[in-house]
Amino acid sequence: MPNAILDPTGTASTKAARPAAARAPRRASLRGARVGLLINTKQNAAPFLHEVGRLLVEEYGAGSVTARTKLNFAVPESEEVIKEMAAEADVIVTGVGDCGSCSAAAAADGVVFEAAGLPTAVIVTESFRATTEAMAELRGAPGFPYATTAHPVAVLEEAQVKERAAGVLGDVVALLTEPADENA
Amino acid sequence: MTDTAPEAVAPGAPDPDEAQRAIEYCYQQDWSDGLPLVPVSTPLVDQFLATTSRAPDEIIGSLEQVGRDCTVYLAAVNAAMAGCKPEYFPVVLAAFDALMRERAARGGGFQSTSGPAPLIVVNGPVRHELGFNTAGGAFGPGFRPNMTIPRAIGLIVRNAFGIREHVLGQATQGVPGRWSICIAENEEESPWEPLAANAGQPGGVSAVSATLTRTCEFIDNRATPVAEEVLRDFADTIGRLGPQIFPQTPVALVLCPEHAQQFASAGYSKADVQNWLIEHSGRTAGELRRAGKGGALRFPAGVSADAAPVSDEHFHRVLTEPRQIPVIVAGAKTAGISMVVRIFGEWSGIATPVGEKIK
Repeated sequence: MPNAILDPTGTASTKAARPAAARAPRRASLRGARVGLLINTKQNAAPFLHEVGRLLVEEYGAGSVTARTKLNFAVPESEEVIKEMAAEADVIVTGVGDCGSCSAAAAADGVVFEAAGLPTAVIVTESFRATTEAMAELRGAPGFPYATTAHPVAVLEEAQVKERAAGVLGDVVALLTEPADENA
Repeated sequence: MTDTAPEAVAPGAPDPDEAQRAIEYCYQQDWSDGLPLVPVSTPLVDQFLATTSRAPDEIIGSLEQVGRDCTVYLAAVNAAMAGCKPEYFPVVLAAFDALMRERAARGGGFQSTSGPAPLIVVNGPVRHELGFNTAGGAFGPGFRPNMTIPRAIGLIVRNAFGIREHVLGQATQGVPGRWSICIAENEEESPWEPLAANAGQPGGVSAVSATLTRTCEFIDNRATPVAEEVLRDFADTIGRLGPQIFPQTPVALVLCPEHAQQFASAGYSKADVQNWLIEHSGRTAGELRRAGKGGALRFPAGVSADAAPVSDEHFHRVLTEPRQIPVIVAGAKTAGISMVVRIFGEWSGIATPVGEKIK
């Protein structure tokens, strides 16, 4: 009887052996919603998300916008920050994932926010679809929906950043609300 | 050559056809880095586990963001697959421990667009006990421990942590020599203390240091007797614009024995070399701005760049402290050729001793 060839791959650690992640109920509309921005510190992420926040207030009647900056773009946010944001916001917009670790981290954050009951729009550039989807799956949320913008973002001028923010707005709203609200 | 008689098969010789099937099986499982793997069985992995007192199920590293742990057992399987001999395993464990001390390694470095490569440095008697190359061709290939130990680390990241290219691995181009750089310091021809002694492991013990790097750039300078001229050549490469994205740009120096001895003969200690290069390596703010890299001039947290604007003539130093510029002596005493190795993030400055089995 020959020996078996041993498998060198690991399995999920105890910490990460998560059950299927819950997704927050969608809102009927964004009217009056408190928007929380989680800015990942990448160049142009702040003006991009602030413009999204401004447009959500102006065009969709969101009530307020608060912003936080990630301490480390490369890893998922701490539970404390997630809890604090969950207390001060009704919906979350996070990004802009334009690198390997930060796109994956944005997806991981998005899954946690959703599980905490907050509809979340994760924004990454088109180059990082694969890693965003892989991370969401690792976190128990296969098929996790997210929004994309063209790559790159870091080199854009201010006006271009605003155009991009406007361009992704419809997808962000669709991610945060019931499908029926899309045409509202 | 089908017209020659087949070689006689010696009794007990291995079956190459079976070996090929086993290697192909490993490829099919997607375990390989692209090169053939040694198919591993329990008797082989048991030989690895017998070299350490650590329990097979002990967790030796975790990548929290992807929810994976590496155990002693998984490290052993991957090290055996990489082509390590069982007696290399304590060095693999030390190298992995040293690498996982790096904030960048724990914090998403393996997923980074930078595609960084570990630089592993081995010191002490273990270099000769295990047959490391400590002389010419320091960056490889040609020597089993130098090549297979970093490969083992790469396979651990791939298989135990599950970081595969195009999925969780997002290297834009990656680094030449990724998963293949393991330098055994040429302590015999170094005029200075070994790296391990700068990293908390003095006394000539066997120890491993590791950091993540973004590339190597050579300095060929073998025609001047003036140490400061050679140092100026190093400073030019260390300070160049390309790698500058943050206010600090750490490097490791892999000095050939000729350069190291030239500096030492001119009275320089390792610290003197580091301090000279800290003082002289950089570019002016104007040079950075003209290359679109004014962002690298950012001031430390709490100090606004606007509050203290710097003129174009301001010389921006890329290093501020010796720990950002570890110095290693490696290679043959055959020419004045050294390497500047770009560090990804910041070196922990802590070496891991090579564990001995508790009897």
